Amino acid sequence: MVLAVALAVVGCDDGAETPAPAEKAPAAGQAEAPAKAPPPPKSFDAGTLKADAETIALVPSPAEMEKALSGAGIDAKLGEMIKDRDIKMDVDNKDQIAVRTGVVLADLVLTVKDADKAQVLARLNRLKAGFEKLGAGTDVQATIDELATQVDNDAITRDKLLQEMDELSGVMVPELEYEAGEWVVPLIHAGSWLEGAHLVSGALKAEGKYNAADAMLKQPAVVDYFIKYVNREGGDKAPDEVVKRLRETLNTLKEVAAKPTLGQEEVETIHSSTGAVLSML
Amino acid sequence: MRMLRTLLPLLALAGGGPALADQKEADTCLRTKIWSGYDDGWAVRTATSADLGEGEHRIYLVTLYAGHEYKFQVCGDNQIDNVDLVLHDQAGKELSRDASSDREPVLTYKPQKTDTYYVAVYAADVSDQAKGAKAGVAMAVTYR
Repeated sequence: MVLAVALAVVGCDDGAETPAPAEKAPAAGQAEAPAKAPPPPKSFDAGTLKADAETIALVPSPAEMEKALSGAGIDAKLGEMIKDRDIKMDVDNKDQIAVRTGVVLADLVLTVKDADKAQVLARLNRLKAGFEKLGAGTDVQATIDELATQVDNDAITRDKLLQEMDELSGVMVPELEYEAGEWVVPLIHAGSWLEGAHLVSGALKAEGKYNAADAMLKQPAVVDYFIKYVNREGGDKAPDEVVKRLRETLNTLKEVAAKPTLGQEEVETIHSSTGAVLSML
Repeated sequence: MRMLRTLLPLLALAGGGPALADQKEADTCLRTKIWSGYDDGWAVRTATSADLGEGEHRIYLVTLYAGHEYKFQVCGDNQIDNVDLVLHDQAGKELSRDASSDREPVLTYKPQKTDTYYVAVYAADVSDQAKGAKAGVAMAVTYR
């Protein structure tokens, strides 16, 4: 970085006639001018960091959560723990559609390597329906159609499909513009994260490895992020039992995440409270 | 390889300034890095883009898992000469910064603790031709 200024002043490619200062020869009898001092590296104080922080990269993906489990020595495959359910998009509340879409997306990412073709296709169709209802534009639907055709024709390996889903969930979904509003991405993230947290807490319960709970599930900033959007002004005010339960669950998770450390009781609370939302979908 | 299809129109719409930025270049560069990373076991958390004038920044809050290795990658377009990447912990303490002085900085980090961190992307030096304008900068968070 300290070379930045020196590099910046070395020549232009637009035919500029003024030589860069660094290229000027010193006049006879003159001492060579000292090089312009590079600017000091930019520093950021805590206030700036907090005030300017954007949250687009805040939420870990379900695949990342599964990898964290593995890193903690827990062999559970989250994809094998997913209930074989058909999450339809036949509801009116857009908040709920976004959450449903996020759950389906998580299920797809976690099962894409091992699920049978019919399951993958069914989930892709549900995903497409969710994005359509959220007004996500035609690009994402075309992408899903293309993937579904490739799956149906056995024209894509599961490893490659996993990469495509990874990119769709991590890059495409956050960058889309949704007719329904900017709150859609956080609530899609909420659906995916809730599913991931439910499965991870279930895995910790099953193996009794509660000492890994802090590293796996203690994410207060993530919960706060979801709460902000669920409670947003101008949100969908239509009475909706799922959204009401989601709000309750997030408040419970906030209390849990505020504890100094998570143990068996907290893991069980996370599992049951996330399950209470997911079972309503 | 679908990111380009979706990001490009969005990048073109991204606001602010006399955007002479060749954002396609930044996006294509980042996409190439993401896809080549899969061969080495990297997966993508997210990727995003912004238009930055000289001295401007974007800050991203990220949750990082203990034990994972994270790679923060940036591609600037041809209007920017030097982009800086700086990682801070939740309290604002600087943990690491890239050591390069170019427009494709990379920072890797393996946290000891699962927590939230701040990643700052800073347009340190916009090219002479683009002074006063914006440059396209794309950033990805990958992990393995």
